[in-house]
Order: sequence, then structure tokens, then C-alpha cells
Amino acid sequence: MIPLRYNVRSLAVRKATTIATAGGVGLVVFVLASSLMLSAGIRKTLGTAGRPENAIVLRMGSDAELGSVVEDSSVPLVLAAPGVRVDEKGHPIASAEIVVVGAMEKLGAKGVTNVSIRGVPDNVMAFRPEVHIVTGRPPRPGSDEAIVGARIRGRIRGLDLGQSFDLKKNRPVTVVGIFEAEGSSYESEVWVDRELLGQAYNRMGIVSSVRVRLDSPSKFDAFRAGVENDKRLGLQAVRETTFYEKQSEGAAKFIGILGTIVSIFFAAGAMIGAMITMYAAVANRQREIGTLRALGFSRSSVLTSFLLEAVILSVIGGGLGAALSMAMGLVHFSMINFASWSEIVFSFDPTPYVIAMALSFALGMGLIGGLLPAIRAARTSPLKAIRG
Amino acid sequence: MTLTGLAIRNLARNRFRVILTTAGVAIAIIAFLLLRTVSWSWGAAGEYSAKDRVVTRHKVTFVMSMPKRYVADVRGAPHVKLATWANWFGGKDPKHDHEFFGALAVDADTYFDVYTEMSVPREQLDTFHHDKQGAIVGDVLAKKLGWKVGDRIILQSGIYPGDWQFNVDGIYVATAKSVDRSTFVFHWDYLNDSLPPDRRDQVGWIVSRVDEPARSAEIGLGLDALFDSRETPTLSQDEHSFQTSFLAMFSSVLKAMDIVSAVILVIMMLILGNTIAMGTRERTGEYGVLRAIGFLPGHVVLWVVGESLATGILGGLVGAAIAWPLINLLLGRVIEENMGNVFPYFHLEPVVVALAVGLSALLGGAAAGIPAWNASRMHVVDAVRRIA
Repeated sequence: MIPLRYNVRSLAVRKATTIATAGGVGLVVFVLASSLMLSAGIRKTLGTAGRPENAIVLRMGSDAELGSVVEDSSVPLVLAAPGVRVDEKGHPIASAEIVVVGAMEKLGAKGVTNVSIRGVPDNVMAFRPEVHIVTGRPPRPGSDEAIVGARIRGRIRGLDLGQSFDLKKNRPVTVVGIFEAEGSSYESEVWVDRELLGQAYNRMGIVSSVRVRLDSPSKFDAFRAGVENDKRLGLQAVRETTFYEKQSEGAAKFIGILGTIVSIFFAAGAMIGAMITMYAAVANRQREIGTLRALGFSRSSVLTSFLLEAVILSVIGGGLGAALSMAMGLVHFSMINFASWSEIVFSFDPTPYVIAMALSFALGMGLIGGLLPAIRAARTSPLKAIRG
Repeated sequence: MTLTGLAIRNLARNRFRVILTTAGVAIAIIAFLLLRTVSWSWGAAGEYSAKDRVVTRHKVTFVMSMPKRYVADVRGAPHVKLATWANWFGGKDPKHDHEFFGALAVDADTYFDVYTEMSVPREQLDTFHHDKQGAIVGDVLAKKLGWKVGDRIILQSGIYPGDWQFNVDGIYVATAKSVDRSTFVFHWDYLNDSLPPDRRDQVGWIVSRVDEPARSAEIGLGLDALFDSRETPTLSQDEHSFQTSFLAMFSSVLKAMDIVSAVILVIMMLILGNTIAMGTRERTGEYGVLRAIGFLPGHVVLWVVGESLATGILGGLVGAAIAWPLINLLLGRVIEENMGNVFPYFHLEPVVVALAVGLSALLGGAAAGIPAWNASRMHVVDAVRRIA
């Protein structure tokens, strides 16, 4: 076995080439890791909003809350369906909400964007214990007050503590609190009183969705049967987790596919870079390789040695790229979510899976790029090589 | 032999390495062209949209509609030549649940006069005008779902419950690059008459053709002034600004793509620079000899830069030669058929190709900077003595 130090020193001697090749691999890994992190961030943001024991009721055929209409008169029937959990006073734990989008002016960038505005009942916090106010206070029931998600705060004109925005012409609403919701998509929404939103958007007597807490996740089928069997209602029930999985599908897939295609091209480029470097290394060190062989090192140990050198080279680059991509954790990325047609702020989420993926990708590039040059090195005839 | 000739002949010295480098550059250029085409065609809908069309919609949100009487007011406004309207129907073919397309309820009499770039054969249009359940379908959509003129089909909508029956009366083709070829257009009267009385006589948006395209922003403001004090204020934009503001919602995705295309150029430069650096290192002795017989440092720079430039251009041309048919014949067709609503026209433009080849030449020259500098500054004695 040729000592590893031989490879490390060889890399150190050819500094410029080593840096260029590792840099190429590093950039590839950086782009790959970033796009994986964004995909993970999208899944996290849209996926954590759902709980398995919650169900959401929408109009039959609607995939999103935006296009769904549920008459007020249907709400008690939904709440009376089997499996709905009740609190100690006997009230069902549920939330009937109106969701609309409003065009609002972006700060720091030109143009307007769509913001999700959710009209919620007074007791919404009882249904969503994960939501809590971080600054300011909760809105007074029935008032012209709003709370704003932490992620969208300060990105849109009027959406910051103490500021106000027009829900409708001459209908200003004051922001009295900022809330967090464990990183879910609620943090990109504006919440106001349901009656207020209903009046402003001409949605009296209807809501967009009804969410209920079930006694247990296994009660879903009974609940669903209860809601969907009543054909007069024309409603459908979906598990909240399924609902959000569907919502994140489009955006996560889009970023995932784009990222994968780009990474494949990049990887091919970087692999060629590694191959060029290793071929040159082998060609320049003919004499050394010949000497090693003459000293008695076997073909396989020469092959392993050069393969290892390529792997070291690409793992250095991969490590650099992965480290650099960690910095993306500080960056927020806002994008329209295709399902709700409103802007959602995502973050890059560095999961261990992403890091492992990126590093093994680098390792693979090193192995594939280094294989052919290493084979050439192993086939060097000691006599010819030493004679030059 | 000329000096440039020598630089190019040097390429043939290590053919294998040149092939690998060319491949690396070519791959980078293909990826670059692909990314540029994605971001370019994203903007194409806005770029090619008619400047003389003004779209009027609900001021706060596109989800809500306006009273139909507004159409008459728009038609009576100064500078408006003709106006039509449409509602978003959001249809789905129950037999092809996963195919997404835009279904619009439009004013059958005027819609195709305003959207002249959607071309329908005269006799098909006549049939459509007299058939209340008639529909006109984009050629791409018709092909994908296997619809022919005369077919009777059923659509469902997330917004309007029930099964809706239509006759395919005609198929439109696009005569401009901005047109989505997968839209489904049918009679607004059919939709309106089937709705409960309290939901009738609402229009989603009004589109007007104006006589002075250059003043369309001003004309739009004039239209909004008409409705400002009415129950539903409006927002009017010319189609170009409308598309631009829509694109602004995806600005971070476009920015990310720009960054990634810059990164790929850097990777390309690293590969090229690395190759050139290795070549010069191997030939240090020769350069020493050439310098010793009287060639100047400038000559050495010329050889090194010339070689790099030639490799860059070669790689750029190979990449362009592969990307052109790949995007225009293969990918473009698939994307236009499946994602026509986002990318109505997915084609590689000659300008972009020229830009890419130019960039690869430029970066080839730049990549040679450091190696050329080093090679030219070397003392003759050192260079001749040095063993590669």
C-alpha cells in the first residue's frame, strides 16, 4: 500500500491545479446542496403546517382554500360529523376561515406581490397552539387589527408592527402583533378578524374552509364519510397533512427538477475537470509511478493510490462547497406558491441528508473522474517509465 | 508558420486533453444556454405581448370579480376601440385529472377580435358563435387530450360545481410567441345562465384594445378613475406591465438562475485555466528555448492566450451545436406541450447562442491570464533548466 502522505504531498506541490479542480467540484457541490436545501425548506415550510389529527373541509373539487366556498349554514353540519374532538365545555375544536389574496407592494424590490390574508375566528389560537405572538399583542376580537407572520414582516409595505395597510379602499387595518408558527407557511400570511375580512372582500355568509381536530388520526375515515355522504353539502374532507403535501408538491418539484438538471450538467463538467487534472498528474509522474512499480508496489496499489488522490481532491472541494452552502441558511427566498397563488418565504434548510448527499456526490465525482487516469497509471510499465 | 498558427498547432500536442477540455466547455455552454432559455422564455410572454391591450381587474385581488356593467363603461371610455371580458373557470377533464390547463369563460362575440393572435378558421368560429355550449381549444391541448372538432366533452371546475358539457367547435393556433396554446375558451353566457341568481353578471377581467399604445398607461389610469368611487375599484395595466408584474413574483427564481449561470461560467473558466496551466508547465523548457533564440515575452503570451482562446471557441461551438437541436427540436416541444402556460415559446434564440460563443471565447482568453503571465515572466535560464 502506497502511503496516503504521497498523495497529499503531490496535491500540495501542484497548488494552483489542485485549487482550480477542487474549486470546480466545490462550486458544483455548492449549487447542488443549495437546491437540495431549498427543496427541503419548501417541504418543511409547507409540510409542517399540517397535523395528522386535523382534517380540512373544502368544496368538492377544490385543491386549495383560495377557490373553495363553504356556506356558513354547512359549518354546524361539519362540526357535528363523527370524530370531531370537543373541549371541556363541549365545543368542537375547529376553525372556519376565509382565505383571500391581496396585491401588496413589495419593499426593496419593484412591483406588487400576492399576500395570503386569512380571516380567522376569535379562538383560532385554541385550534393552533403552535402559533404564538413574538412581539406586540393579539388583536382585540372584532376590531380592525391584524397580526402578521414573522417571515413576511418588513418585506411588504405596511406589514410591520404599528404600521397599517388598506384591506379595502379606506379600510385601514393596523398591525398589532407578529406571530411565529414553527416555520410553517402561516408565517407568510396576514391574519385578521374573519367578519372584517368577510365584509371587506364581500364574502359574507361563506367561508373558504373548515378545519377540525379529530379525536385521533384514525377517526378520519369516519369523519370523512360523515361529511362526504351528505351530498347536499357538496364538500370533501382531506387530512391536513395530505392537503399540505399536495400544496408543496408543485414548488418543491419545480425547484427539485431544476436543481437536479443543473447539477447533472455541472457534475459532468467538474468530473471532466477532475479527469483532466488526474490524467496530467499521471502523465507528469510517469517516472515516479515506474519507480513505485519497480520497488514492488502492485498494480492494484498504484490504482488505489491514484483513485484515492482523486477522491481526496474532490472531497476537499465538496467539503468547501458544502461549508459554503451552509451560509445560505441565512438567506430567505421568496417565491409564489403555485397552489395558493401567494408569496411564501422559504429558507434554505441544511438537513444532515442534504450534507450527506452533497458529500457523496463529490465522492462519486472523484471516483468516476479518477478511475480512467488511475487505470492508466496502474498499467504503466516500470521499465518504459523509468527510461522516460 | 505564423505565431497564431503555432498556438493552434500546440493544441494538437495533447489531443486527449483537448478533447476532454472541449467537452467540459461544451457541457458548460449547454447548461448555460439551457438556463438562459428558461429565464428568457419566462419573460417572452411579456416581451411579445401586445402593447395596445389594457387589462382591467379588481384592484385588491385577482380572485374577485367585477360587475358586468363595467364592460359598458370601459367601452364608452375615450381611446378604447373595443373591449371584451373573461372569467377564470379553472377546468379539469375528469378523465385526465392531472392535466392542468386554463379554461376561460369569455364573451364569444368579441374575444377573438381582441385576441387576434389566437387564430381560428372562419367556419369554426361561425359554428362557435351559434353554439352556446361551444368551445375553442388550443392546438397543443387538443392534441394532448385527444380532442377533435365535433367532440362532446365534460369538464369539472373547482369553483363552479357540477359537470359541464361542451362541444369542441374549433381549434386555435398561435400567430405570436406569447400565446399559450393550451387554453380552453367557451361562452360566458353559458356559465352565467347556469349560476344561481346572486352569483350572476360578474366578470373576472376586462381587456380593451386602445388606439394609442404609447399612452396605454395613461389610458389605464383613466379607466381606473371611472371606477374609483364605485363599489369595486379597479387596476388597469397594459398587458406588458401586467406580465412584468406577474414575473416580478418569481424574481427570486430568476435571480437564482442568473447566479447559477454565472457560476457555470466560472466552473468553465476553472477547467480551461487548469488545462492551459498544465500545458504551459509541461512546455516551460520549450518556451525557454524560444525565448533564448529571440522571441519576446509578448510572443509567449500570444501563444498561451491563443491556445486558450481556440479551445474556448471550439468548446463553445461544439456546445452550441449540441444545444441548438436539443432545445429547439426536443426539449422545446416537450416543454411547450406540458408547461405552455408558463413557457408558451421555449426556443433558443440566435442572439443567445452568439452571446454564449462570444463568452466562451472571452473566458478562454481570461482563463489564460495567469499561466500566460507566469510563462512570460520566467527567466530564460530558469525555463530551459526546469524539468517539468
